[in-house]
Amino acid sequence: MLKEVRDQLGNPDDLITETMDNGYTKMEFCFFPGMCDINQVKDGILVPFSYRFDPDEFRRMLHADLGFIRADKPEEWSGLLLKGFVLLQYEGETFAFGAIRKMQTKPDPTQVEASLQGPQSAYTEDLDLNLNLIRTLYNSKSLGVEWHEKNDIASQSRIMLLYDRDKVDPTTLKEVRSRLDEVDKNLILAAGQLVKLMSHKRHRMFPVILVTERPDRTAMHLNKGKIVIMLDGSRFVLLMPVRFFDFLSAMDDYYEPFWMSRFLIVLRYIAMLLTLTLPALYISVVSYNPEVFRVQLAFTIDGSRAAVPYPSFIEVLIMLFMIEALIEASIRLPRFVGSTAATVGGLILGQAAQQAALVSSIMIIVTSVVAISNFVIPNSTFSYFIRVLKYLFVAVSIFSGLIGVVVTLFMLIVYLCNMRSFGEPYFALFINEKKKKNKRNPAHQKAG
Amino acid sequence: MIRFYYYHVVYVGLMNIMMLVPALLISHRFSGGVSAIPLAIAAGTLIAYLTSSCFQRFPGLGLPEIFDRFLPRWLACFLNGIGIVIWATGGIIVLYSYSNTIGLFFNPETSPYINLTIMAIACIWAASRCSRSVQFTNEMLLILSTPMIFWILLKAMLSPWLDWDAIWIVANQVTKPPSAISFYAATFVFSGAMNATLFNRLTKPGYKLRYRWIIPLIGTMFLLVSFFVPIGFHGTQAVGNYLYIWSVTTDCLIMKYGFIQRVLYLFLLLYTLLSLLFVMNTWHTAMEFFKACFRRYPPATDQPRVPAVNWYVCIALAAITFAYAYFTNDLRNRILSEIWLVSRFFIEVILTALLLLFVYMDRRSKQRRRAPPKSSGNPASKATGS
Repeated sequence: MLKEVRDQLGNPDDLITETMDNGYTKMEFCFFPGMCDINQVKDGILVPFSYRFDPDEFRRMLHADLGFIRADKPEEWSGLLLKGFVLLQYEGETFAFGAIRKMQTKPDPTQVEASLQGPQSAYTEDLDLNLNLIRTLYNSKSLGVEWHEKNDIASQSRIMLLYDRDKVDPTTLKEVRSRLDEVDKNLILAAGQLVKLMSHKRHRMFPVILVTERPDRTAMHLNKGKIVIMLDGSRFVLLMPVRFFDFLSAMDDYYEPFWMSRFLIVLRYIAMLLTLTLPALYISVVSYNPEVFRVQLAFTIDGSRAAVPYPSFIEVLIMLFMIEALIEASIRLPRFVGSTAATVGGLILGQAAQQAALVSSIMIIVTSVVAISNFVIPNSTFSYFIRVLKYLFVAVSIFSGLIGVVVTLFMLIVYLCNMRSFGEPYFALFINEKKKKNKRNPAHQKAG
Repeated sequence: MIRFYYYHVVYVGLMNIMMLVPALLISHRFSGGVSAIPLAIAAGTLIAYLTSSCFQRFPGLGLPEIFDRFLPRWLACFLNGIGIVIWATGGIIVLYSYSNTIGLFFNPETSPYINLTIMAIACIWAASRCSRSVQFTNEMLLILSTPMIFWILLKAMLSPWLDWDAIWIVANQVTKPPSAISFYAATFVFSGAMNATLFNRLTKPGYKLRYRWIIPLIGTMFLLVSFFVPIGFHGTQAVGNYLYIWSVTTDCLIMKYGFIQRVLYLFLLLYTLLSLLFVMNTWHTAMEFFKACFRRYPPATDQPRVPAVNWYVCIALAAITFAYAYFTNDLRNRILSEIWLVSRFFIEVILTALLLLFVYMDRRSKQRRRAPPKSSGNPASKATGS
């Protein structure tokens, strides 16, 4: 066995291959020490084989212990070794012993989607632990779990499909499965990559898959009949089909009192609209339709622009470039340098640029409103999309002013209404046909 | 899904302003315009009730499919053709007059064709989507824009500058015999019910159109507001001087505390959305009628991937709009919109009559189909008959 394994793997140096002899009998034995938990290997194999060897007991252990899997096919061996199994051949039979080294033993704290009062635990990079988190929160017998295995995926990323069997829409499930089959990339490292591969149109302006790190959000969506895809090695899971409004909801909306959460939701929508349109509105009001604003306000804006030597759209582009660069820098930099960057950037953006008459002071307010409003959006993917989309509005407003902005808004709404997330409408209100369907069938309501 | 029906009623009712209905009514304010209003309300409600009851009998079928069922192919295509003309022209008139309004009040320096181009692009894009997307858009935009529009209307009605005496004087003209053209124009407010011709495709079997009393209520309100409020602001005489009467009327309103002082701008921006919505619906209907003339394009209501023919038809409509804009001016546009309003009324009447005929034929054929099983007891025909 050992020779075959070595041949299959090209004899790597980090593979331990031994023929062990305890004086009575021999056993062939090989594993990657880096991928295995050495204590488990010791307790599970080495101790029974060496110090407390009893041929009968050892044989019984190999056949009855859940940790040992029969692995008689030589072509499986290298795959098992690579997943962290220990291979051993005893009396002509080959077994694989699962001693995979787990890095994570407890859930991570939430990092991206913080919540004040909700659960604080998030997914980890270990699929089994993630599955445990979901099973605990969504403790329902109707939870369907499917492996999605593809042989040609080199990283052998384990992909798992979860859904509520009673609530899920079968056509959507079929669609998701077929999309998953179509994924032909052989190395999937992160949930975001899978999202990209599963969204058919690559140039879509809005995400149709929600990526989350929160088990409670996952459980809530499962309860709504959504489908969850989990990927081993990723802290994030994929939820689908989703709607536009799901991206603007934070889990706290469900945990806070009614009026408070409504207020926050309204705030978020206003913030989204502001961050989307404010730079464009600034350009159109300054360059096209100053008469729209009341006279005093128009004068204030124009007064603050008195020293600025170029048209408004250049001013807007400068400031937007600065703020985008600043945001990008503070995300990518190490945490210690990051705060310095923010301070320096804040100084430049705040006082200096205005005093140097590069931009007007109103523009600084516009820039900060845009940036802050963008951070209000709870989903980071979605906020990226909004960040980019704002430039479309800017471009239109340069050429056609206020009317252009309104027409673009119209087109955006049409675009959203025309989108479907896995066959379900993306931007439609009051889609409660499903709920009614569930009401008609009381068995559906019980689950979850 | 009945709410989608009422969205059509609401936005078409609001669009009467852009179809120059108030201007036409006001020009006849001393010669029978007022007495035409109650008549129009009655006639419009009647037509809306009749057509909606008829469409309820054919759930899931648009007008082209109903034609196909009861009429020979050539006649169905001919009637579809009339539908295309009437719907597409409605959209073209609105697009032209709105881009003109924008040119007058918003961007007087830019070429009118630029405004038209922007709006035409948006309309091509929007109208070429599938019917279901169009319906979602209707809902979204109406929810976004109507609260503000109603607020503006309310503000106008409560304004201290509104002269109720002038309104009273004009209202007293109700004794004059009604003028025909005012009557035809005023029924436009109820035309939203007609959009069921296409969007009936999206209804589910067995749907019931409840709350139909909303139609006369909304229509009456819009009609009265759009006719009397401008008179109250401008007086009985001066009100006749304007073509885009409502833009001038909203300019009489001031928001004391807002960023925007003149209500006009808010009004225009909101009506941009509504006009685009109207054009989207009319062009979409025209496009679907066109496609229904060919067997190659079976009706597909949920089709996020836009087929190429949608683009071609909508681009053709936009091209016609440009040609129209080149040859016309405000006055000619006004004449065309009058012709359109009148012919639209007659087509609605004909359509209602046809629908009643179809319902009658449907019943007869059902009875006929139901009759044989009783005598012969053939189970197969029973299944088709029920």
